[in-house]
Amino acid sequence: MGKDVRPNWDNPMQFVLACVSYAVGLGNVWRFPYLCQSHGGGGFLIPYLIMLVLEGIPLFYLELAIGQKMSLGSIGAWTAISPYLGGVGLASVVTSLYLCLYYNIINAWSFWYLFHSFQSVLPWAECPVNANLTGPIEECERATPTQYFFYRETLDISSNIEVNGGVHMGQALCLLLAWIITYLFIVRGVKSTGKVVYFTATFPYLVLFIYLIRGVTLHGAINGVVYMFTPKMEQLANPTTWINAATQIFFSLGLGFGSLIAFASYNQYNNNFERQAIVVSLINSSTSIFASIVTFSIYGFKATVNYENCLESIRVKLLNAFSLSEDTISMETVLDWIEKLNTTYPEQFAELGLEAVPCDLNKELDTAVEGTGLAFIVYSEAIKNMPLPQFWSVLYFIMLLLLGMGSMLGNVTAIITPLRDFKIFSRMSNELFNGLVCLFCLLLGFGFTTPSGNYWFTMFNDYGATFSLLFIVLIEVITVSYIYGIKRFEKDIEDMLGHRPNWYWKIMWVVVSPVLLIALFIFYIVNYIQGGTPTYQAWDKDLGKAVVTEYPVFGQLFIALLLVSSVSCVPLTALYAYCKKKQRKQPNQRKRTISTVSA
Amino acid sequence: MWDDNEMFLFRSTVAYAMRRQLPGQQFSVPNIVVCNETARVSFWFVVMSPDMGSLIPKQQVEKAVRMSRGRINSAFMLTDHTLEFIGIAPTLASPYTPDTPPWLIVFGVVMGVVVAGIIFLVGSSVVQKKRKKKQKSTDNNAEVNEEHSAVNEGVYNMSFTDEERITRI
Repeated sequence: MGKDVRPNWDNPMQFVLACVSYAVGLGNVWRFPYLCQSHGGGGFLIPYLIMLVLEGIPLFYLELAIGQKMSLGSIGAWTAISPYLGGVGLASVVTSLYLCLYYNIINAWSFWYLFHSFQSVLPWAECPVNANLTGPIEECERATPTQYFFYRETLDISSNIEVNGGVHMGQALCLLLAWIITYLFIVRGVKSTGKVVYFTATFPYLVLFIYLIRGVTLHGAINGVVYMFTPKMEQLANPTTWINAATQIFFSLGLGFGSLIAFASYNQYNNNFERQAIVVSLINSSTSIFASIVTFSIYGFKATVNYENCLESIRVKLLNAFSLSEDTISMETVLDWIEKLNTTYPEQFAELGLEAVPCDLNKELDTAVEGTGLAFIVYSEAIKNMPLPQFWSVLYFIMLLLLGMGSMLGNVTAIITPLRDFKIFSRMSNELFNGLVCLFCLLLGFGFTTPSGNYWFTMFNDYGATFSLLFIVLIEVITVSYIYGIKRFEKDIEDMLGHRPNWYWKIMWVVVSPVLLIALFIFYIVNYIQGGTPTYQAWDKDLGKAVVTEYPVFGQLFIALLLVSSVSCVPLTALYAYCKKKQRKQPNQRKRTISTVSA
Repeated sequence: MWDDNEMFLFRSTVAYAMRRQLPGQQFSVPNIVVCNETARVSFWFVVMSPDMGSLIPKQQVEKAVRMSRGRINSAFMLTDHTLEFIGIAPTLASPYTPDTPPWLIVFGVVMGVVVAGIIFLVGSSVVQKKRKKKQKSTDNNAEVNEEHSAVNEGVYNMSFTDEERITRI
């Protein structure tokens, strides 16, 4: 019995809330609605829910079981399962490290926007004036004020990944704040995390609910909701739909990072994680659906406002060109008048340079955006049009912060827990070790606050975790089902819960999930090879929009480094374990002892 | 509603602007000549000199309008956006730049609270550890501790427990 007893959650509710806080993150708000819209609206729910049942819940259960059984972080747990496969845990830690580095930048941006909401006129509502006070700044004219605020004032973005500059002081300060708050949440390990999650897991729902009420009462919100939920069943025949559904479930639940293993390792041995796994997975998916209703009502509002602004500007143009009095053309009759004037004065009309159908509501709705673009550009554009925008802005960015911080808790815990299992680190005090980890990530994270930082962020976001996670979870499920043995695993679960897992779980672990994961894995590789040179969106300040650019050679090398560094942990550790074993056999020449894993 | 009275007001504000620009010359409403009025409420106007002899050149008129733009706008309760003088770009108001950007103020408040929280937490755990160390060193001399440590070093045997094996959520 060691001197330091492993800390535990104060009660099972803290564990559940921690898992919810970790799993329910920014992806639920900005990735799922996008997928729903681009893959047939309401119809997307079918592959989504099927994938949840086939791979989401079983894999979630698996990770919780391992963590709770071994009571160790990912490295220790996997080494205990099979000494050759401790590398899986190490790969998880490396991937979590990459995630920690870039994820907190999003929180930094949320802070930046939050602090800028305390002004009488929101800074992204209008273009700032240029130097000689004759009009708005050109870059802002060509783009929109919200885009200008994001790309120029928040990021001070350069023209491509090769051009760099100094650190953006405002961003650096916000990143510092984000890391200090992260440290504050985890400073005492599970004891402090357990208290924080009561807030970070529940408050976002309150805000989402308030936004739901606000959203559906907005003018034109119904357009967005109808557009999103109209099922286009033909999308179900497209394999990409199913693959995206599988990937979304996968990443949304946060499998493979080691966070779930870490959280579960602080559980009491007999905690009923089976029910908790199902509950958390269902909460996660329902939050995605709930958030997408909110997102799409806001979307519909923004599209309707843009459409009406477009109609209004056309109307003014017509009035000016044909010198008609103010009340001849109204908003409803604009389109009729376009036709009328086109037939009666064709040359004059052609001079105006209008298209045949200049304003299209569906086109506005079609501009599907995901990721940071949705959160920081589209949403802030919608907010500036609401009455009392400062209040809604503050509320929204606080929600983003809570979602992001809640996920950060899991990310950082995934690094700290396995490292603390090693003797060298466990001697340090909790506060010191956690502080060092946060400081390390903060210093590396400053690289993302430079002008090309957003491009590096995109690179990390697209390549840092996706492929490695698939690999990790595939190895995990194959290890447990075949190397460790499903019978041994069953016995362990019976030991913890009092009953064996029923046939559904066993079939998923042994057959369905591995097959699905292998299919996803192959698809990723094929897609990557077929896709040619990887590209990213570079912001062109002269055009005022994002341009697709190829990564330069060093960028592609770095992507390869990201992928290889985490994936190679598995074979390298296996090799290391093998060499160590051979070394040990030489001097003693005795039979290999079988290491007992479970009691 | 645009009518003759509004036109009269317009002509008088332009006359006012001309008076400000060229002091000494007494411009008045008949000096402002308007033509080509359309239903859109757009028209051409020229400014004659007070003795109705010559036209005032365009640059002078532009300068005058630019200088008094604010007064002309407010006479009609319109803005630079809704009252357009074609060819005369509005001089936009210089933005209000406060000494400290407001976001920095909020940032400072939040940062202060968080740092105070950390100092409190880290400090209290350091104090707790020191107290525990002191307690241990004084307890080591006491006999009672022997009994306590014997109990503490035991392993909790789960087979004798009455508690529920399965914890509820």
